[in-house]
Amino acid sequence: MTNFTFSAISELQPNLWWLSIPFIIVLFLALRAVNQSIKNSVFKSLTNPVFLSISIIALLLVNLNLPYTQFASHSKLLSWLLEPAIVALALPLYQQFTHVRKNLLLIVATCSLGIVNATVVAFLLSILFNAPAQLSASVAALSVTTPISLIVTDSLGGISSLAAALVIFIGLLGALFGFMLFKLINIFNHESQGVAMGTACHAIGTAAAIAEHPKVGAYSSVAMALSALLTAIIVPLLYPFLVNILL
Amino acid sequence: MKYLLSSAIILLCLACAKLIMHFIGGSFPAPLLAMVILLVLLLSGIVKEQHVKPCASPILNIMPIFFIPAGVGFIEHLGLIKSHWAFLASVMVLVPITTLLLVSSVIAYFKGRENND
Repeated sequence: MTNFTFSAISELQPNLWWLSIPFIIVLFLALRAVNQSIKNSVFKSLTNPVFLSISIIALLLVNLNLPYTQFASHSKLLSWLLEPAIVALALPLYQQFTHVRKNLLLIVATCSLGIVNATVVAFLLSILFNAPAQLSASVAALSVTTPISLIVTDSLGGISSLAAALVIFIGLLGALFGFMLFKLINIFNHESQGVAMGTACHAIGTAAAIAEHPKVGAYSSVAMALSALLTAIIVPLLYPFLVNILL
Repeated sequence: MKYLLSSAIILLCLACAKLIMHFIGGSFPAPLLAMVILLVLLLSGIVKEQHVKPCASPILNIMPIFFIPAGVGFIEHLGLIKSHWAFLASVMVLVPITTLLLVSSVIAYFKGRENND
C-alpha cells in the first residue's frame, strides 16, 4: 500500500513543473505591487518582495515536506535566465558611470575599501567561530547585490543560497537601522550616506536611501552598481589570498 | 528587430565569456566576465545604450524572479545554519555595521560631515 502511494506521488510530481514557475512569478509580482503601494519606509523595507517570496516558498516547502531538489528542477528555466540577466546589469552600471565621472576615484576607492572590509570581517569571524570552509566561503561576498553574490559564492565553493539569504537580511538591517547609525556618528553628508548604503546594503538599502533623500539615493545607486563590478573583481582574488595567508 | 539585436548582444557577450573562461580555466564566473565585456563595449561606444535597452530593461525589471528559486535553496542547509547560528548572526550584524561606518567615515573625512552640496 505504502509503495503504491509513493509511486503514485512520484508519478504525479513531474507534472508540478507548471505550478512552480507561474507560482513564483505571480507571488513575486503580487508582493511587489503591494510593496510599491506602501509609503512608510520601515514597512516598505519589511515587506521587501524578494525577502517575502523566498520566505513564503521556503515555509511552504518545509511544512508540506516537499523536496527542494524537485522544486529546483521544476524552476530550472528561471535559474538559467539569471546568467543573461547578470550580463544585462552592465546597462545600469554604464548609466551610473556617466553620472559620477568627477567623483569616480573617491567612490571607487571607498567602495573597494567597503568590499575588502566586508570580506575580511566575515573571514576573521569565521576563524573566530571556527566555521567550516564551506560556510566561510559562503560569507565572503555579502556586500553586493544578490545575483552577483550568488554567482561569486558559487565560484568560491560556498553555499550560494545561504549567501543570498544573508545578503537580503543585511539589506533589510541596513535599510531599517542604517540612517540611525549615521545619526549616531554625526554623518549627514549625502554622498557619505549614499555611498555607504549602496556599498553595504545594495538594492534594499538603496530603496531606503531614495526614500530618505533623492540625492542620497542617487549616490547609493552608483555605489551599488560599482560594488557589483568591484566585488566580481576583488572577492574571487581576495578570498583565496586570505585562505592562503591566514589558514 | 530591436529585441533580436538586444538579446543577440547579451547572449554573444555571455558566449564569448564562456569561451574565454573555458580556454583560460579558473573559477571566475563567466556571466560576470560577460557583464564586464558588455560594459567595456558600452563605454567605448562600440555598442550603444539603445542597442541593449530593449531586452536589458525588461529582464532587469523582473530579475529577482530568476534568483528566487536559488534563494530558497538555503532550506537544504537548515541543520548547518542551526549549528552555526551564532557565527551567521554575528556576520549578519557586523559586516554591514563595519562597512557602513568605514565607507561613510572615509567619505566624510574628505567631504565633511554636513551637506555642502
